[in-house]
Amino acid sequence: MPPREHPLARVERELNVAPRHRLDLIEEVAADVKELRAELERRGLSPAQARRAALQQLVPGGEALERLEVRHAPRPRRWARAANWLDHTVRLGVGAAATLAGAAAFTLAASGSSGAGAANGGAAGTGATAVLVWSQVLLVALLAANLAWGAARLWIHGDLRPAGRRLLWARQGGLIVAAVALGALGAAWEGYQAFTGPGFAAISSLSAWGAVHEVARVAAIGLGTAIFGLFGWLAITPRLISDEETERRIARFFARTSPPVSLETHTPRINNSTGGRQ
Amino acid sequence: MTLSRRINELLVLAVLDHGPAHGYQIALSVEERTGGTFSFQHGTLYPILHRLEDEGRVCGAWHGEGRRRRTYRLTRTGRAELEAGADELERQFQALLGLLRGNHAAA
Repeated sequence: MPPREHPLARVERELNVAPRHRLDLIEEVAADVKELRAELERRGLSPAQARRAALQQLVPGGEALERLEVRHAPRPRRWARAANWLDHTVRLGVGAAATLAGAAAFTLAASGSSGAGAANGGAAGTGATAVLVWSQVLLVALLAANLAWGAARLWIHGDLRPAGRRLLWARQGGLIVAAVALGALGAAWEGYQAFTGPGFAAISSLSAWGAVHEVARVAAIGLGTAIFGLFGWLAITPRLISDEETERRIARFFARTSPPVSLETHTPRINNSTGGRQ
Repeated sequence: MTLSRRINELLVLAVLDHGPAHGYQIALSVEERTGGTFSFQHGTLYPILHRLEDEGRVCGAWHGEGRRRRTYRLTRTGRAELEAGADELERQFQALLGLLRGNHAAA
Protein backbone atom coordinates (compact mmCIF):
# COMPACT_ATOMS: atom_id res chain seq x y z
CA MET A 1 0.00 0.00 0.00
CA PRO A 2 1.51 3.37 -0.97
CA PRO A 3 2.22 5.74 1.93
CA ARG A 4 -0.62 8.11 2.65
CA GLU A 5 -0.01 11.66 1.50
CA HIS A 6 0.21 14.36 4.12
CA PRO A 7 -3.07 16.32 4.15
CA LEU A 8 -1.22 19.55 3.46
CA ALA A 9 1.05 18.19 0.74
CA ARG A 10 -1.48 19.09 -1.94
CA VAL A 11 -1.71 22.63 -0.57
CA GLU A 12 2.06 22.98 -0.65
CA ARG A 13 2.20 21.59 -4.18
CA GLU A 14 -0.64 23.60 -5.68
CA LEU A 15 -0.07 26.95 -4.03
CA ASN A 16 2.13 28.91 -6.41
CA VAL A 17 3.62 31.49 -4.10
CA ALA A 18 7.08 32.06 -2.65
CA PRO A 19 8.26 29.22 -0.36
CA ARG A 20 8.13 31.40 2.78
CA HIS A 21 4.42 32.03 2.23
CA ARG A 22 3.87 28.32 1.62
CA LEU A 23 5.73 27.43 4.81
CA ASP A 24 3.82 29.99 6.85
CA LEU A 25 0.49 28.76 5.55
CA ILE A 26 1.09 25.05 6.08
CA GLU A 27 2.46 25.68 9.57
CA GLU A 28 -0.53 27.82 10.45
CA VAL A 29 -3.06 25.37 9.02
CA ALA A 30 -1.32 22.34 10.56
CA ALA A 31 -1.33 23.89 14.03
CA ASP A 32 -4.98 24.88 13.66
CA VAL A 33 -6.01 21.45 12.36
CA LYS A 34 -4.26 19.79 15.28
CA GLU A 35 -5.96 22.05 17.82
CA LEU A 36 -9.36 21.85 16.19
CA ARG A 37 -9.16 18.09 16.04
CA ALA A 38 -8.29 17.93 19.73
CA GLU A 39 -11.15 20.32 20.53
CA LEU A 40 -13.65 18.27 18.54
CA GLU A 41 -12.47 15.10 20.23
CA ARG A 42 -12.99 16.79 23.60
CA ARG A 43 -16.53 17.50 22.48
CA GLY A 44 -17.18 13.85 21.86
CA LEU A 45 -16.30 13.21 18.25
CA SER A 46 -14.31 10.10 17.47
CA PRO A 47 -10.73 10.67 16.30
CA ALA A 48 -11.72 9.79 12.75
CA GLN A 49 -14.68 12.16 12.78
CA ALA A 50 -12.65 14.91 14.39
CA ARG A 51 -9.89 14.44 11.84
CA ARG A 52 -12.30 14.57 8.93
CA ALA A 53 -14.12 17.62 10.27
CA ALA A 54 -10.94 19.53 11.06
CA LEU A 55 -9.44 18.83 7.65
CA GLN A 56 -12.64 19.72 5.85
CA GLN A 57 -12.99 22.96 7.72
CA LEU A 58 -9.42 24.21 7.62
CA VAL A 59 -7.39 22.70 4.77
CA PRO A 60 -7.64 25.17 1.87
CA GLY A 61 -9.49 23.90 -1.17
CA GLY A 62 -9.31 25.19 -4.73
CA GLU A 63 -11.10 28.49 -4.16
CA ALA A 64 -9.17 29.31 -0.99
CA LEU A 65 -5.88 28.43 -2.69
CA GLU A 66 -6.71 30.70 -5.59
CA ARG A 67 -7.47 33.58 -3.24
CA LEU A 68 -4.36 32.92 -1.16
CA GLU A 69 -2.30 32.91 -4.33
CA VAL A 70 -3.67 36.32 -5.29
CA ARG A 71 -3.10 37.56 -1.74
CA HIS A 72 0.55 36.51 -1.56
CA ALA A 73 1.50 37.13 -5.16
CA PRO A 74 4.28 39.65 -5.84
CA ARG A 75 2.98 43.04 -6.88
CA PRO A 76 4.18 42.67 -10.53
CA ARG A 77 2.15 39.49 -10.79
CA ARG A 78 -0.96 41.30 -9.61
CA TRP A 79 -0.38 44.01 -12.22
CA ALA A 80 0.29 41.46 -14.93
CA ARG A 81 -2.79 39.50 -13.94
CA ALA A 82 -4.94 42.63 -13.92
CA ALA A 83 -3.67 43.52 -17.38
CA ASN A 84 -4.21 39.93 -18.60
CA TRP A 85 -0.51 39.61 -19.37
CA LEU A 86 0.43 37.02 -16.78
CA ASP A 87 0.80 34.15 -19.25
CA HIS A 88 3.06 36.21 -21.48
CA THR A 89 5.37 37.74 -18.89
CA VAL A 90 8.03 35.00 -18.99
CA ARG A 91 8.16 34.88 -22.78
CA LEU A 92 8.21 38.67 -23.03
CA GLY A 93 10.92 38.99 -20.40
CA VAL A 94 13.05 36.33 -22.02
CA GLY A 95 12.60 37.83 -25.48
CA ALA A 96 13.34 41.37 -24.34
CA ALA A 97 16.40 40.40 -22.29
CA ALA A 98 17.85 38.23 -25.04
CA THR A 99 17.30 40.91 -27.67
CA LEU A 100 18.78 43.72 -25.58
CA ALA A 101 21.79 41.75 -24.35
CA GLY A 102 22.37 40.22 -27.79
CA ALA A 103 22.19 43.63 -29.46
CA ALA A 104 24.60 45.14 -26.92
CA ALA A 105 27.05 42.27 -27.32
CA PHE A 106 26.72 42.46 -31.10
CA THR A 107 27.52 46.16 -31.08
CA LEU A 108 30.54 45.64 -28.85
CA ALA A 109 31.84 42.70 -30.87
CA ALA A 110 31.30 44.54 -34.15
CA SER A 111 33.14 47.65 -32.98
CA GLY A 112 35.94 45.48 -31.54
CA SER A 113 36.24 43.55 -34.78
CA SER A 114 36.41 46.68 -36.89
CA GLY A 115 39.03 48.19 -34.57
CA ALA A 116 41.08 45.04 -34.57
CA GLY A 117 40.45 44.64 -38.26
CA ALA A 118 42.06 47.98 -38.94
CA ALA A 119 45.13 47.02 -36.92
CA ASN A 120 45.47 43.37 -37.65
CA GLY A 121 43.32 42.21 -40.48
CA GLY A 122 40.46 41.57 -38.02
CA ALA A 123 39.48 38.54 -36.01
CA ALA A 124 36.18 38.48 -37.81
CA GLY A 125 38.11 38.20 -40.99
CA THR A 126 39.58 34.79 -40.12
CA GLY A 127 36.64 32.41 -40.53
CA ALA A 128 37.03 30.07 -37.54
CA THR A 129 37.73 32.84 -35.01
CA ALA A 130 34.88 34.91 -36.35
CA VAL A 131 32.50 32.03 -35.72
CA LEU A 132 33.83 31.67 -32.18
CA VAL A 133 33.57 35.41 -31.49
CA TRP A 134 30.05 35.74 -32.89
CA SER A 135 28.91 32.67 -31.04
CA GLN A 136 29.78 34.62 -27.88
CA VAL A 137 27.11 37.12 -28.89
CA LEU A 138 24.65 34.26 -29.01
CA LEU A 139 25.85 33.07 -25.60
CA VAL A 140 25.32 36.53 -24.09
CA ALA A 141 21.76 36.52 -25.47
CA LEU A 142 21.17 33.02 -24.08
CA LEU A 143 22.59 33.95 -20.67
CA ALA A 144 20.35 37.01 -20.52
CA ALA A 145 17.36 34.93 -21.62
CA ASN A 146 18.03 32.33 -18.94
CA LEU A 147 18.41 34.95 -16.22
CA ALA A 148 15.27 36.73 -17.39
CA TRP A 149 13.41 33.41 -17.26
CA GLY A 150 14.54 32.84 -13.67
CA ALA A 151 13.87 36.43 -12.63
CA ALA A 152 10.39 36.39 -14.15
CA ARG A 153 9.54 33.13 -12.39
CA LEU A 154 10.87 34.45 -9.07
CA TRP A 155 9.77 38.06 -9.01
CA ILE A 156 6.70 38.08 -11.22
CA HIS A 157 5.18 34.65 -10.76
CA GLY A 158 6.72 34.46 -7.28
CA ASP A 159 7.62 30.79 -7.31
CA LEU A 160 10.42 28.78 -8.87
CA ARG A 161 10.23 25.15 -7.78
CA PRO A 162 13.36 22.96 -7.30
CA ALA A 163 13.15 21.42 -10.79
CA GLY A 164 13.05 24.88 -12.38
CA ARG A 165 15.82 26.09 -10.10
CA ARG A 166 18.04 23.15 -11.04
CA LEU A 167 17.32 23.83 -14.71
CA LEU A 168 18.21 27.51 -14.27
CA TRP A 169 21.50 26.69 -12.55
CA ALA A 170 22.41 23.95 -15.03
CA ARG A 171 21.76 26.18 -18.03
CA GLN A 172 23.61 29.13 -16.50
CA GLY A 173 26.58 26.94 -15.54
CA GLY A 174 26.64 25.32 -18.97
CA LEU A 175 26.55 28.65 -20.77
CA ILE A 176 29.33 30.09 -18.60
CA VAL A 177 31.52 27.06 -19.25
CA ALA A 178 30.72 27.32 -22.96
CA ALA A 179 31.71 31.02 -22.97
CA VAL A 180 35.07 30.29 -21.32
CA ALA A 181 35.69 27.31 -23.60
CA LEU A 182 34.86 29.27 -26.75
CA GLY A 183 37.06 32.17 -25.62
CA ALA A 184 39.97 29.80 -24.93
CA LEU A 185 39.43 27.99 -28.20
CA GLY A 186 39.33 31.26 -30.16
CA ALA A 187 42.44 32.58 -28.44
CA ALA A 188 44.29 29.31 -29.05
CA TRP A 189 43.29 29.33 -32.69
CA GLU A 190 44.42 32.95 -33.11
CA GLY A 191 47.74 32.13 -31.44
CA TYR A 192 48.20 29.05 -33.56
CA GLN A 193 47.48 31.00 -36.74
CA ALA A 194 49.84 33.84 -35.84
CA PHE A 195 52.78 32.01 -34.34
CA THR A 196 53.00 28.65 -36.09
CA GLY A 197 52.36 29.64 -39.69
CA PRO A 198 55.07 29.51 -42.39
CA GLY A 199 55.79 33.24 -42.08
CA PHE A 200 56.35 33.07 -38.34
CA ALA A 201 60.18 33.42 -38.58
CA ALA A 202 59.84 36.64 -40.52
CA ILE A 203 57.18 38.20 -38.28
CA SER A 204 58.00 41.71 -37.09
CA SER A 205 57.76 42.72 -33.47
CA LEU A 206 54.86 45.03 -34.35
CA SER A 207 52.97 42.19 -36.02
CA ALA A 208 53.77 39.91 -33.08
CA TRP A 209 52.35 42.48 -30.69
CA GLY A 210 49.23 42.76 -32.88
CA ALA A 211 48.82 38.97 -32.83
CA VAL A 212 49.18 38.87 -29.04
CA HIS A 213 46.62 41.65 -28.80
CA GLU A 214 44.22 39.64 -30.96
CA VAL A 215 44.71 36.49 -28.86
CA ALA A 216 44.00 38.52 -25.72
CA ARG A 217 40.96 40.15 -27.30
CA VAL A 218 39.35 36.85 -28.28
CA ALA A 219 40.09 35.40 -24.82
CA ALA A 220 38.71 38.55 -23.16
CA ILE A 221 35.44 38.27 -25.09
CA GLY A 222 34.98 34.76 -23.71
CA LEU A 223 35.91 35.87 -20.23
CA GLY A 224 33.62 38.91 -20.47
CA THR A 225 30.71 36.70 -21.48
CA ALA A 226 31.43 34.36 -18.56
CA ILE A 227 31.64 37.31 -16.14
CA PHE A 228 28.33 38.63 -17.46
CA GLY A 229 26.81 35.22 -16.74
CA LEU A 230 28.43 35.07 -13.30
CA PHE A 231 27.18 38.50 -12.29
CA GLY A 232 23.68 37.56 -13.35
CA TRP A 233 24.02 34.37 -11.39
CA LEU A 234 25.22 36.29 -8.34
CA ALA A 235 22.26 38.65 -8.59
CA ILE A 236 19.75 35.83 -8.57
CA THR A 237 21.51 33.41 -6.22
CA PRO A 238 20.62 34.97 -2.82
CA ARG A 239 16.92 34.56 -3.56
CA LEU A 240 17.49 31.01 -4.83
CA ILE A 241 19.48 30.07 -1.72
CA SER A 242 16.85 31.57 0.55
CA ASP A 243 14.10 29.68 -1.31
CA GLU A 244 16.08 26.45 -1.05
CA GLU A 245 16.55 26.92 2.67
CA THR A 246 12.83 27.54 3.12
CA GLU A 247 12.01 24.47 1.06
CA ARG A 248 14.31 22.42 3.29
CA ARG A 249 12.28 23.73 6.23
CA ILE A 250 9.10 22.70 4.42
CA ALA A 251 10.55 19.22 3.91
CA ARG A 252 11.55 19.09 7.59
CA PHE A 253 8.05 20.20 8.52
CA PHE A 254 6.48 17.33 6.59
CA ALA A 255 9.00 14.86 7.99
CA ARG A 256 8.42 16.09 11.54
CA THR A 257 4.67 16.54 11.54
CA SER A 258 3.56 13.63 9.44
CA PRO A 259 2.16 11.51 12.28
CA PRO A 260 0.30 14.23 14.22
CA VAL A 261 -0.87 16.36 11.34
CA SER A 262 -1.92 13.49 9.14
CA LEU A 263 -4.25 12.90 12.07
CA GLU A 264 -4.23 9.17 11.78
CA THR A 265 -6.50 7.44 14.23
CA HIS A 266 -3.73 5.70 16.14
CA THR A 267 -3.56 8.54 18.71
CA PRO A 268 -5.03 7.24 21.95
CA ARG A 269 -8.37 8.73 22.84
CA ILE A 270 -8.18 10.40 26.20
CA ASN A 271 -11.41 12.24 26.64
CA ASN A 272 -14.10 10.84 24.45
CA SER A 273 -17.19 10.59 26.57
CA THR A 274 -19.61 9.43 23.89
CA GLY A 275 -17.41 6.68 22.47
CA GLY A 276 -18.49 4.19 19.87
CA ARG A 277 -18.86 6.80 17.13
CA GLN A 278 -15.93 5.61 15.12
CA MET B 1 -16.99 43.86 -2.53
CA THR B 2 -19.69 41.18 -2.50
CA LEU B 3 -22.09 40.99 0.42
CA SER B 4 -20.97 37.50 1.41
CA ARG B 5 -17.34 38.58 1.49
CA ARG B 6 -18.27 41.58 3.58
CA ILE B 7 -20.22 39.36 5.98
CA ASN B 8 -17.31 36.93 6.27
CA GLU B 9 -14.95 39.74 7.14
CA LEU B 10 -17.31 41.14 9.73
CA LEU B 11 -17.79 37.70 11.27
CA VAL B 12 -14.03 37.37 11.74
CA LEU B 13 -13.75 40.88 13.15
CA ALA B 14 -16.67 40.23 15.51
CA VAL B 15 -15.04 37.10 16.92
CA LEU B 16 -11.73 38.88 17.38
CA ASP B 17 -13.51 41.71 19.17
CA HIS B 18 -13.80 39.29 22.11
CA GLY B 19 -10.06 38.78 22.25
CA PRO B 20 -7.12 37.31 20.32
CA ALA B 21 -7.70 33.90 18.77
CA HIS B 22 -6.12 31.25 16.59
CA GLY B 23 -7.60 30.54 13.18
CA TYR B 24 -9.38 27.38 14.29
CA GLN B 25 -10.89 29.23 17.27
CA ILE B 26 -12.27 31.86 14.94
CA ALA B 27 -13.78 29.20 12.66
CA LEU B 28 -15.27 27.33 15.60
CA SER B 29 -16.57 30.46 17.25
CA VAL B 30 -18.27 31.74 14.10
CA GLU B 31 -20.04 28.43 13.66
CA GLU B 32 -21.12 28.22 17.29
CA ARG B 33 -22.23 31.80 17.71
CA THR B 34 -24.28 31.80 14.55
CA GLY B 35 -25.84 28.46 15.36
CA GLY B 36 -24.23 26.93 12.31
CA THR B 37 -25.74 29.49 9.90
CA PHE B 38 -22.26 30.64 8.98
CA SER B 39 -19.21 28.44 8.84
CA PHE B 40 -15.88 28.51 7.10
CA GLN B 41 -15.17 25.38 5.09
CA HIS B 42 -12.20 24.25 3.02
CA GLY B 43 -9.84 26.79 4.47
CA THR B 44 -11.76 29.81 3.21
CA LEU B 45 -10.99 31.47 6.52
CA TYR B 46 -7.30 31.95 5.73
CA PRO B 47 -7.57 34.22 2.68
CA ILE B 48 -9.95 36.38 4.73
CA LEU B 49 -7.59 36.52 7.69
CA HIS B 50 -4.59 37.27 5.51
CA ARG B 51 -6.43 40.00 3.65
CA LEU B 52 -7.61 41.60 6.88
CA GLU B 53 -4.05 41.45 8.13
CA ASP B 54 -2.66 43.03 4.96
CA GLU B 55 -5.18 45.81 5.31
CA GLY B 56 -4.24 46.40 8.94
CA ARG B 57 -7.61 45.43 10.38
CA VAL B 58 -6.24 42.46 12.27
CA CYS B 59 -2.74 41.78 13.47
CA GLY B 60 -1.26 38.27 13.23
CA ALA B 61 1.67 37.06 15.29
CA TRP B 62 3.59 33.80 15.52
CA HIS B 63 4.11 32.12 18.85
CA GLY B 64 6.27 29.23 19.87
CA GLU B 65 9.55 27.80 18.67
CA GLY B 66 9.75 24.80 16.38
CA ARG B 67 6.05 24.20 15.96
CA ARG B 68 4.72 27.69 15.51
CA ARG B 69 1.15 28.85 15.99
CA ARG B 70 -0.44 31.97 14.72
CA THR B 71 -2.69 34.24 16.74
CA TYR B 72 -4.78 37.12 15.47
CA ARG B 73 -6.06 40.15 17.30
CA LEU B 74 -8.25 43.04 16.30
CA THR B 75 -6.57 46.38 15.64
CA ARG B 76 -8.07 49.77 16.31
CA THR B 77 -8.83 50.12 12.58
CA GLY B 78 -10.51 46.73 12.67
CA ARG B 79 -12.69 47.70 15.60
CA ALA B 80 -13.80 50.88 13.86
CA GLU B 81 -14.45 48.85 10.72
CA LEU B 82 -16.54 46.38 12.70
CA GLU B 83 -18.74 49.11 14.17
CA ALA B 84 -19.22 50.85 10.85
CA GLY B 85 -19.74 47.55 9.05
CA ALA B 86 -22.36 46.36 11.54
CA ASP B 87 -24.35 49.57 11.15
CA GLU B 88 -24.09 49.40 7.39
CA LEU B 89 -25.13 45.76 7.31
CA GLU B 90 -28.07 46.45 9.59
CA ARG B 91 -29.35 49.13 7.23
CA GLN B 92 -28.88 46.87 4.23
CA PHE B 93 -30.67 43.95 5.84
CA GLN B 94 -33.53 46.10 7.08
CA ALA B 95 -34.03 47.41 3.58
CA LEU B 96 -33.80 43.91 2.16
CA LEU B 97 -36.20 42.42 4.69
CA GLY B 98 -38.58 45.31 4.23
CA LEU B 99 -38.68 44.58 0.54
CA LEU B 100 -39.01 40.84 0.95
CA ARG B 101 -41.84 41.14 3.46
CA GLY B 102 -43.61 43.83 1.54
CA ASN B 103 -43.25 46.48 4.25
CA HIS B 104 -41.07 48.69 2.18
CA ALA B 105 -42.67 51.99 1.27
CA ALA B 106 -43.83 51.69 -2.30
CA ALA B 107 -42.26 54.17 -4.61
